[in-house]
Amino acid sequence: MAALATGGGMPSDGATSFQRKVPASSRLATIAGTRPSVRHGQLLLSSGLPSLDCVLGGGLAVGTLLLIEEDKYSIYSNLLFKYFLAEGIVCGHNLFVASAKEDPADILKELPAPLFDDAHKNQVNEKETAIKSKQESQESMKIAWRYQNLPRIEVSPAASARIGHYYDVSKMVSPELLQSTKWHRFFVPEEMSLHPEIKTCNMTCGYTRLLQSIQRIIYQEGFDGSYPQKKQKNILRIGIQSLGSVLWGDDICCTDNPEDIYSLTKFLYVLRGLLRMSLSACIITVPAHLIQNKAIMERVTNLSDTVVGLESFIGSERETNPLYKDYQGLIHVHKIPRLNSLICDVSGTKDLAFRLKRKLFTIESAS
Amino acid sequence: TPLWPAAPLRSWLIPVSSPLCASRGESVHVFGFEIPEEEFLAGFDPDVTVRLLYQDGFTDPLRWTGEAGGFGAEEFTALGVAGRLARGPAGPATVVLDSLSWLLLRQPLPAVCQTLGRIPRAAASAGLRVTRILALLHEDLHPPGLVETLRSLAQAVVGVRPAPEGMGSGEDAPRLASMLQRKGTGKVLTKEEYFTVLAGFTPKALGEPTGSVPRDEDADPHSTVDPTANLTFNLRLSDTERRARDGMPLPFHFSAQK
Repeated sequence: MAALATGGGMPSDGATSFQRKVPASSRLATIAGTRPSVRHGQLLLSSGLPSLDCVLGGGLAVGTLLLIEEDKYSIYSNLLFKYFLAEGIVCGHNLFVASAKEDPADILKELPAPLFDDAHKNQVNEKETAIKSKQESQESMKIAWRYQNLPRIEVSPAASARIGHYYDVSKMVSPELLQSTKWHRFFVPEEMSLHPEIKTCNMTCGYTRLLQSIQRIIYQEGFDGSYPQKKQKNILRIGIQSLGSVLWGDDICCTDNPEDIYSLTKFLYVLRGLLRMSLSACIITVPAHLIQNKAIMERVTNLSDTVVGLESFIGSERETNPLYKDYQGLIHVHKIPRLNSLICDVSGTKDLAFRLKRKLFTIESAS
Repeated sequence: TPLWPAAPLRSWLIPVSSPLCASRGESVHVFGFEIPEEEFLAGFDPDVTVRLLYQDGFTDPLRWTGEAGGFGAEEFTALGVAGRLARGPAGPATVVLDSLSWLLLRQPLPAVCQTLGRIPRAAASAGLRVTRILALLHEDLHPPGLVETLRSLAQAVVGVRPAPEGMGSGEDAPRLASMLQRKGTGKVLTKEEYFTVLAGFTPKALGEPTGSVPRDEDADPHSTVDPTANLTFNLRLSDTERRARDGMPLPFHFSAQK
């Protein structure tokens, strides 16, 4: 009918005066940017890419780790990293950015800008035309004359059930949006210069400091429930760029006999504990193609919850293959977690490819 | 921004790049470990040498004589390098390391990479601006994993190797340079070019390799890859196979043979 209103609107809006009566105590506290999964009941976040959320079965569960195996020149893995952080900014989550190569402030400045209007247009094109045609038919209908004077409310259908936004890669996020976000940083050269007397080739040094920093932030900001009096809960999105690369002080990328072969796996083990006991989600990019000892990647995959590998066509013979001419690379989903169930939500197709077309990054099945 | 040539013929690259930098008004700080200063500076024009500041790491690498002006291996830290750079004129500077292989044989790779990353910052705090870091690497001295790691860290990589057979030999033999550059927008450019270095250390590009030069992989006449090539099954029948197929008696036909 004419007045399709979202529930709970205030009368001053011009919307319906009906209000859903729910006692305040039994109302579930919802955290911005999350929704409970219908399949396994965990709280899901968006990874920043709606098509990746579909592949992962609805989104990334809170308390889990998303590991991205970088493509050869780290171009697309950096893009996914930025999408994850940009989604955090748009949803109002707190961010923790750790990197060894780029200053976290520079990373945040280069995040893609969200597309607010286009998001709805792209997603709900068919639904919009349906609503429009309904409204046109109502104009010609004189029976329900009383409702003609009410303002037309355009419904964003299933807005509460859908998480995820679209981003414009060619534009940078606005500084005002950045300023309103609370974020924490960890930059390896900065941390090392604070304590120069410790030798830089100590493998676990960078990892240990990072874990201590994450633990401190989780405790201080109350993501683990340390401050029960805080009514408004929020999510901490942790992003760690290029973990395991040489700049972190680890030599697993240079030799297949590294000095401390277990330091990365120890780090992931402790990180998993930190994530499970707090309202946080983490994205890590790892230069898997550089790691010499393949056993390390097997262990890393075991210790992560969701593992996605990217393979770009740049420089390979697939660039000229007519089968792949629309796509920039392939996505391999190596692992999806089994949360509260015996099976996981793997999508049916195994050939997933991605393309970066002007502003939009989409993942589709390559066929 | 680091860039490294993986070069067994390094004696040509520094002389080529230094005049280019010097002509732009920048000062070039060369940290030399492999050849003595006189040999390095031989052949340069005087206006180039005045801009080249040579840090001698060749004569006394272990600092046994303790002479002033020498540069030892353990001095290769961000602060040590920045201190040397500060002795030169202010302004944009280029740092040349000849060679990175020498340093990698004495210090572990993570430490060297972290130092290289910190040099621009340390120099900035001393009031200098390091525009680029050029490091030479002897590719054949290191395991492939190390070379790959360095390639992924650098913003531009130039590989120099001798040109394939049939293109001349001797001192003026052309070399093949394969270049890979990573741009800020995420694009990756690769290019291959033949070049030779004339007297006076000026480079001369000799054009790109064409299909007429025999290469390892099969020369593809079409630019696109044919997806029906290299299949494990037959899509077409040859004549003998066709005749054999036609001559086969079908199971439920009554024929003279049965």
